[in-house]
Amino acid sequence: MKAKTILHFRQLSHIAFFALFMILFVQAVYLGESPLPSDFFYRFDPLIAATAMLAGRTLIAGLLYSLVTIALSILFGRVWCGWICPFGSVLEWFSPKISRGNVPNKLRTVKFLAFFTLIFAALLGNQSAAFLDPISILTRSMTTAIWPGLRLLVIGLEGFLYRFDALWPVLDLINQDVLLPIFQGIESVFIAALPIFLFFIIVLGLNHLAERFWCRYLCPLGGFLGLTSRLAVFRREVNADCIACGKCVTACPTGTVNADKNFESDPAECTMCFDCADICTVNAIHFPAHLPKWEPAEGQAYDPLRRQVLLTAVGALGGVALAGIEPIQRRQPDRLIRPPGATLTDFTTMCMRCGECVRVCPTQGLQPSLLEGGWQNIFTPRLVPRLGYCSYNCDACIRTCPTGAIPSISREEKQITPIGLASINTDRCLPWAYDTLCSVCEEMCPLPDKAITLEEVDVPTNDGGMMTIFRPKVNRELCIGCGLCEYHCPVGGEAAIQVQSLPDATGFIPGI
Amino acid sequence: MSDEKKLNRRDFLRKAGITGVGLYMAGCAKKTEGVLPTPFSSVSSPTAQPTNLPEAETPAYGDVYLAVARGEDIEEMVRRTLVAIGGIERFVPIGADVIIKPNICTDYYTYEYGATTNPIVVGTLVNLALGAGASRVRVMDNPFGGTGVSAYRRSGIEEAVNAAGGEMEVMNKNKFRSAEIPDGLDIKEWVFYQDILNADVVIDVPIAKHHGTTGLTLGCKNLMGTILNRGQIHANIHQRIADLVSRVKPALTVVDAMRTLMRGGPTGGNLNDVRLANTVISSADIVAADAYAATLFGLQGSDIGFIQAAADMGLGTLDLASFKVEEIPV
Repeated sequence: MKAKTILHFRQLSHIAFFALFMILFVQAVYLGESPLPSDFFYRFDPLIAATAMLAGRTLIAGLLYSLVTIALSILFGRVWCGWICPFGSVLEWFSPKISRGNVPNKLRTVKFLAFFTLIFAALLGNQSAAFLDPISILTRSMTTAIWPGLRLLVIGLEGFLYRFDALWPVLDLINQDVLLPIFQGIESVFIAALPIFLFFIIVLGLNHLAERFWCRYLCPLGGFLGLTSRLAVFRREVNADCIACGKCVTACPTGTVNADKNFESDPAECTMCFDCADICTVNAIHFPAHLPKWEPAEGQAYDPLRRQVLLTAVGALGGVALAGIEPIQRRQPDRLIRPPGATLTDFTTMCMRCGECVRVCPTQGLQPSLLEGGWQNIFTPRLVPRLGYCSYNCDACIRTCPTGAIPSISREEKQITPIGLASINTDRCLPWAYDTLCSVCEEMCPLPDKAITLEEVDVPTNDGGMMTIFRPKVNRELCIGCGLCEYHCPVGGEAAIQVQSLPDATGFIPGI
Repeated sequence: MSDEKKLNRRDFLRKAGITGVGLYMAGCAKKTEGVLPTPFSSVSSPTAQPTNLPEAETPAYGDVYLAVARGEDIEEMVRRTLVAIGGIERFVPIGADVIIKPNICTDYYTYEYGATTNPIVVGTLVNLALGAGASRVRVMDNPFGGTGVSAYRRSGIEEAVNAAGGEMEVMNKNKFRSAEIPDGLDIKEWVFYQDILNADVVIDVPIAKHHGTTGLTLGCKNLMGTILNRGQIHANIHQRIADLVSRVKPALTVVDAMRTLMRGGPTGGNLNDVRLANTVISSADIVAADAYAATLFGLQGSDIGFIQAAADMGLGTLDLASFKVEEIPV
């Protein structure tokens, strides 16, 4: 096949996989009724598979698809990076034509060290840095910033157009048939939108220093696949026809073509993109199978030294030690409400910060946390009931969690599993503090036997008469902490009824 | 990539324009089954000023003011009650834009739990309205638990309405507008769903059920689903509901009392709390319908604050002895 044809296939592959990513992303909030798994890309992500299984000390069958990706890399090298990874595609599409920076080759080591650090931390039961996974970055940025921002603009425009009465019939059609299926009528707000977006933009911006900066130098998954790609059967080769024009050196998006060394490249860096083969005027570049005389590709100057790898182990140990002296180890954070069924301790080791549960939550009450659970829990999901409640009849997060950090319990079980406990602030609650009629929380409570009861009280009115008001009370035995009451509490600002996180099973902190 | 492949600004604008027009046309292309107007034909309304006002005069249709059917054939019960009070044609003129407002409060439970309106009642009304010549029949509510999409599906109403040829509309925040309530005693202005105020005919189809705050929720209370900022209604809930009634003024109220939720309302969830009352009540008078439905719970209209408040405002009568009731065993 001609290089040009293969190049076109690769561009199609970019578009197809990114489109698949977006389709899965959009349909993820259909309360899980779609036949497609929203965590498709994670299932093929070997980095996530490795860290989740190491940290969780368990075999996660759903993540074993990632062996396909590893097998692919042993056959063809970093094709994941060049052909599949949707974040890689985004980075390629947003590459400036000219990269100004002069980045030292030595920086390539960082991605290997990042990979080792993640693995060592996972061995120690910690996944705090798993948010650096590229699929995770794209999912999180799309979920919390790009998509909601886009929706805001579209719906804002629609709102403007709705001012013109003549347009209503058309707008109605567009709304119900186009916008509703795409955005699901969900109004998202995200506490972490700005930092997450900034992170995304910075990674994008690094492209100005070198094309696909992230993939070349930083990506821990790229580091992982780089190591396995050294074994690749099919590798790039330059034959004797080469006229040393140097075109391939500038064309290479990862800058791995070495002009000083007969225009050879490192399989750990090459993404099999075929840009070089396409640009070569004398057809000197091929990707033959190195069989039957197969041996691993030779090492490079930027390969991590044994000393450096040991250092990452020490670094991971230090990081885990720091995580161990954060306050969360002594006191349960007040407002760190986890998705249903998740326990505080097991959850943080199993959760890989992938953001899928945040994406699928139809009320968008699940938010990537910032520092509510300490630095070690950054970007883990937490329910913020004031922004969105845990919908009684929904188990989308349970069904989507790829690692089982949110245990896979049935909907019926979820409906009786407490995730927190509501309490009433009688200094703010309208009937308690101001003798005003209100019982929204009781009305909203979704439980068959309402966890909020109303106490009838007669209070004097201003005109000297008496009136009956109802004061809500929470039944501790029944409340599951779904937060519907907090969400709908009509008191402005902070709700007069709030859900606090539950302590782990016993309700007591061990050792105190 | 070479330069000629790059999109320049002009190309981009041209392509964006074509895409936009394509999307627009795609939006227009849907729905060819006659009942719907194209986006360009104005929704036909026979009267110059569409209002939801019921007939001002007490009807002469055999003098039946309120009809009650008891039985199990829900479709037949709805039909017979409507025939008794003058037929659907009395309420739905030819070409009318009709909105049916059932109670689809959450997506938590199916209709058997008595928290959402019976889908057969809604489906039958869609059928009848289309049969009477309505140009368009839409069904909508604004659930407080779950999304519109999920609650419509879960309640079974979506399926029934689609089968009957009606449309489910997920309420769009952009279509809520502030509107005056000229006759309101407590609130003079509130944010309403514009389509409900503009519709030629609004049919209020509550389910009769228990409600922690107001005792019961019925036709008047069901109109809470036409507004935003519902939490603030609670500060003076009975009068404010009556004020809403004075603005929305449904032409027809059909109370679904097939499976009445006797406690744990409005959300329900316990089948032991559901009583098989097997009753459907229809009247042009929302207050009368509510007052009659209250008797199914061993109460009187005057026991429920919002029924009394609406009656006090002259929006209907709660005195069951003052009008003719037709009882229809089915």
